[in-house]
Amino acid sequence: MQAGGCVLGMVSLSALLTAASLGVACAILSVFVVMRRWAFIGEGISHSGLGGAGMAWVLALLFPAFDQAWAPYALAAVCCVVTAVGIGFFSRTGKLNADAAIGIFLVATVAWGFLAEGIYMQVRHHQPYQWESILLGRFGDVSASYALASAAVCGLVVFMVGMLGKEILSYCFDPVSAEVSGVRAGLVHYLLMVLIALTVVIGVRVVGSLLVTALLVLPGVTGMMVTLKLRGVFSVAVMTGLVGTVGGLLIHGTWLFLPPGPVIVLVMLGVFLVAWIMHRVRGT
Amino acid sequence: MALIQIEHLDFDYGGQAVLKHIDLTVPDGSTVGVIGPNGGGKTTLMKLLLGLIEPTRGSILIDGVRPREATQRGDVVGYLPQNPRVPGHFPMNVRQVVRLGLVGKTGMLRAFKRGDTDFADHLIERVGLVDLAETPVGSLSGGQLQRVFIARALAARPKVLLLDEPTTGIDASGQQRFVEFLEELKKELGLTVVLVSHDLRSVAAVADRIACLNVTLHYHDVPERMPRELAASMFGCDLEAMGISRGHACGDPGCCEHVDHGAVVFTPVTGRVIR
Repeated sequence: MQAGGCVLGMVSLSALLTAASLGVACAILSVFVVMRRWAFIGEGISHSGLGGAGMAWVLALLFPAFDQAWAPYALAAVCCVVTAVGIGFFSRTGKLNADAAIGIFLVATVAWGFLAEGIYMQVRHHQPYQWESILLGRFGDVSASYALASAAVCGLVVFMVGMLGKEILSYCFDPVSAEVSGVRAGLVHYLLMVLIALTVVIGVRVVGSLLVTALLVLPGVTGMMVTLKLRGVFSVAVMTGLVGTVGGLLIHGTWLFLPPGPVIVLVMLGVFLVAWIMHRVRGT
Repeated sequence: MALIQIEHLDFDYGGQAVLKHIDLTVPDGSTVGVIGPNGGGKTTLMKLLLGLIEPTRGSILIDGVRPREATQRGDVVGYLPQNPRVPGHFPMNVRQVVRLGLVGKTGMLRAFKRGDTDFADHLIERVGLVDLAETPVGSLSGGQLQRVFIARALAARPKVLLLDEPTTGIDASGQQRFVEFLEELKKELGLTVVLVSHDLRSVAAVADRIACLNVTLHYHDVPERMPRELAASMFGCDLEAMGISRGHACGDPGCCEHVDHGAVVFTPVTGRVIR
């Protein structure tokens, strides 16, 4: 079967691989995001994708070479990574309150994205490339190369967490104590930022910049709702991520009029609600 | 031999002097308490000792190297943060958290050594939490959590233990247990201890030397007796705020027989402070 071939009706193998990679990578990182209470950071990084796409749309008006389908994603990826490092810098050095830094990056990039879309519409009289998919995601034309890139990012997340797990946990538990006990806290901090940014880049393509944050929060929270054993939390988070992304993809493949991003997020939310109800029942 | 040597230390923030002319020597195996009012520079001094900030002028040496290098070694400095708290849903148990104290010493891409994990397990037993070793840390009480953090700080067998306001938020009986426990650990592990606090009672109960910090380090060798006016000027605040209620900071009812009215008397051998 070819990478781009169809399985399970309308869903391609490439889309499945992308969904599974996204589900696993987001689930692992979501545990750290919840531990560090970084949900707002994920929001800031993911929304900056819109700013990067906006840059591509304005460049497309000036240079025809940028008037291509790949350009908004490429610049969104660059913008996500730069924003992640920027937020990471401000939140670590304390030069600016972390919340304020995220707020500034978030509103600036979203405002720029909408402004660029307006300018593009005024000049070209049609919506720019990837406008809707950047906002809400799209699975329909996921290529084999994109699926492989997604798998590579997922592999990188798994590898880095496997190699530096104890340092990351130490940092997430107590950054100051980690630093003064000899952990290279700065390295861990920026590593997590970059891994989150790369995962967001995959997610923006599939779920959209508005909703990708949910994938960096819901699996981790669900895991901690079910158990407080570390391995158990990661296992439940990964299962939640996979059920959300792959399940959402299959629903989208069956009813194509349903946008993939909202479907994936709502499936994940459903899993979380089940876990929450079980937690409440067990608690009483 | 001095394990910590601070010489001619100044620290300015925003053009304002936070610490001025600090000289302090902490001998190996001693316990030095740093007391002073809020805003007197205790937290800044702690950050300087931890290598989190650099002095404007002067130097600090811990075990012969700068604080940043000392902390990066992973087995020189142990640190107990002020009022440690953990979210209730944090998915790590007591044993896992104590072993986090070994991460810096072990280094990246290496597994913990068996001897180190055995020592961490011994510390869990030593702090009286062996029955709770598999319990999530988020479900522990404040006193239990503090013992977890002490075990984590000691897991790498550091030479120096830095304690930041260790008795804040702990009730009187818990403070007494903490003092006894710290004494035992100090003897057992041969630790040098530096603790900062605004609570003179808790410092006096464990320290064999007391440093009084209010921007400048006014005094650091414990005298036998000190005029009340001098003590007040050293602390720069109401003595009752420092834990001396009605001029008395001793928990031992028999110790006040030798009270010399009008003076604060430090008895360094027992670590008591009486008036």
